[in-house]
Amino acid sequence: MTFSTPLTSSSTGRGESQLVNSVPAKLRSARVLRWSAWAPGLETPEAWRAWCAEPVPLATTGHPEAKFLPAMLRRRCSPLTRIALTAAWGCVEEGELGRVRTVFASRHGSVNESIEMIEQVVRRERLSPAQFSHTVHNAQAGLFCIAAQNRAASCSLAGRADTFACGWLEVLTHLERDPASRVLYVMADVELAPRFAELVEEPEASYALALLIARDGDGPELQFDLEGVDATPVTPWPHAGEFLRFLLSDAERFSLGRFHWTQCG
Amino acid sequence: MLMPSDAACRLSALGIVTALGSGGDEVWSRLLDGEPSRLVDRADLVPDRVLRVGAVHDPLPRIPARLAAFDCRNNAMALAALAQIEEPIARALREHGAERVGVVMGTSTSGVADAEGAIRHELSEGGLTPTFDYAQLEFGGLASFAADYLGVRGPAYSLSTACSSGARALASARSLLRLGVCDAVIAGAADSLCGLTANGFTALSAVCDGVTNPCSKNRAGLTLGEGAAVFLVEPGPGGVQLYGVGESSEAHHMSAPDPSGAGAEVSMRGALEDAGLGPDAIAYLNLHGTGTPLNDKMECLAVERVFGRALPVSSTKPLVGHTLGAAGAIEAAFCWLVLDRAQSGALALPPHWWDGEGDAELPALHLVQKGETAHPRSAPRVMTNSFGFGGNNCTLVLGRDGGRRGTELTN
Repeated sequence: MTFSTPLTSSSTGRGESQLVNSVPAKLRSARVLRWSAWAPGLETPEAWRAWCAEPVPLATTGHPEAKFLPAMLRRRCSPLTRIALTAAWGCVEEGELGRVRTVFASRHGSVNESIEMIEQVVRRERLSPAQFSHTVHNAQAGLFCIAAQNRAASCSLAGRADTFACGWLEVLTHLERDPASRVLYVMADVELAPRFAELVEEPEASYALALLIARDGDGPELQFDLEGVDATPVTPWPHAGEFLRFLLSDAERFSLGRFHWTQCG
Repeated sequence: MLMPSDAACRLSALGIVTALGSGGDEVWSRLLDGEPSRLVDRADLVPDRVLRVGAVHDPLPRIPARLAAFDCRNNAMALAALAQIEEPIARALREHGAERVGVVMGTSTSGVADAEGAIRHELSEGGLTPTFDYAQLEFGGLASFAADYLGVRGPAYSLSTACSSGARALASARSLLRLGVCDAVIAGAADSLCGLTANGFTALSAVCDGVTNPCSKNRAGLTLGEGAAVFLVEPGPGGVQLYGVGESSEAHHMSAPDPSGAGAEVSMRGALEDAGLGPDAIAYLNLHGTGTPLNDKMECLAVERVFGRALPVSSTKPLVGHTLGAAGAIEAAFCWLVLDRAQSGALALPPHWWDGEGDAELPALHLVQKGETAHPRSAPRVMTNSFGFGGNNCTLVLGRDGGRRGTELTN
């Protein structure tokens, strides 16, 4: 894909964790080998670099076509799936799509489609079997695995305001179980139906950030730690966007409440 | 405490609520009875159809007022299970500090059942029910609720990979310990009966009338259920251990497994390899055993390729229903009970309830009969399979060594 973006080793300074823990911090360290992101109007690495320099709230509506998907699979794809898989395809080279482990994080998942179906249930209408099977929280993972013919382990999760950080943590659990693997991490969300939007503090946005993460390889090494009890901050754009700004900067440390990433150099 | 990456991981305490009842003792005794007599008929889930389901009968605890945002049936079931192990959890919090304890919970429904009520209210009265909060509906709400209720300050997140969610929660918990991120993890799952999943699985023609009939030539689909199971997961030896995790994806179809059973086979072999065991070491396998024509066929084929036909296996879904996102944790709990209640090296096994009419297209596996026990020659190891919608597979190996309660394990 044209907007696949490898990361070379950064030359930033070495950060030392303050944590005293007898488990080697190495286990909590991982390298970001590549990244790719998509949001309405932000469809190239250049656009994202410009956004990182001068961020603005992300658009809430719009989704890509995801033409790399076979038409039969694409037809059933929700906006969230198209966004998530577009970032996924942009992040991993063709030959590796079938091999990576995957972690898909989304706070809201397919909730808008679920609500449509709940309305049908309340009105005693019949559900479409295909719609139902494409609305599970792991629909993006399932479709990715089918389209990429990927039989590796996969997980889908949600962690309310901490979803992005918890997804990163889940990636580390995969590297713990399979240290030699490369994990494709996709964080994606879409705008929430208006009736719920007012119940959620986070900014509305439709976007995906995909990161290819491994213990070894060519890319900045980040140590992840939990420390303190600070509440998770509400940022003007999604945490994933804040993380990308950190990744493309010279900053040594990035924190989201009690979750901390430190450049290992 | 140093925890190298192959360190022991103990499932220290179990809380459980299912159609079979509440708590290990009640569930264990009814599990061995092996009768689907606790299932009930429900006419309110799917229009013009009565479904027999594994509903939780016991009254559920009230969600405390300070956590009203999380007040839904799914969280109340989780609370019923958590309340059973509040003491060991409090001990872990004292020992390690709230920041070093995490929560990983599986769910495929979260509070959808209550959201249905809210939407029904909106369509008839205008406006969602005043007690409704998005925290009840979003998947992350379950883990958040458990963490807030227990006063846990470590990471808290929900996994949702359909029917493998609960098994995955245990896998992630073990990894969080090994990574040194947590010193204890509360891990498990909760899923509740709701119109969305009942109508969804009905639309997929996956739900049978009456009680599911796994591995039978007459099997016609699954029976839905609900419930919760939670474990306190800690590092260290003794008790019941999580020895192995196997994972795979089907890459086949959103709602149907690879008919060859290839994905299931990879998952089981992966769990054996992770546990450092050969197939002969396994004394019992709790099947995913949904009773759908496709699942049972591919699973039996895969089991035969890995184990042959002699291994005692059973599906416990006729007794509690398919509890979907909670099934992996509930069936791990059944395996935990098999090991925890071992007497003089003998393992009492949960019977396989069915009509006894074998399917010529399936290998004739050793389906556990009522009253059957296993007598493993070495320390007992058992396995449980969870295969999720969307093609997500997870297999766990649990076991028990001599160790602290070794007097009961004489051989």
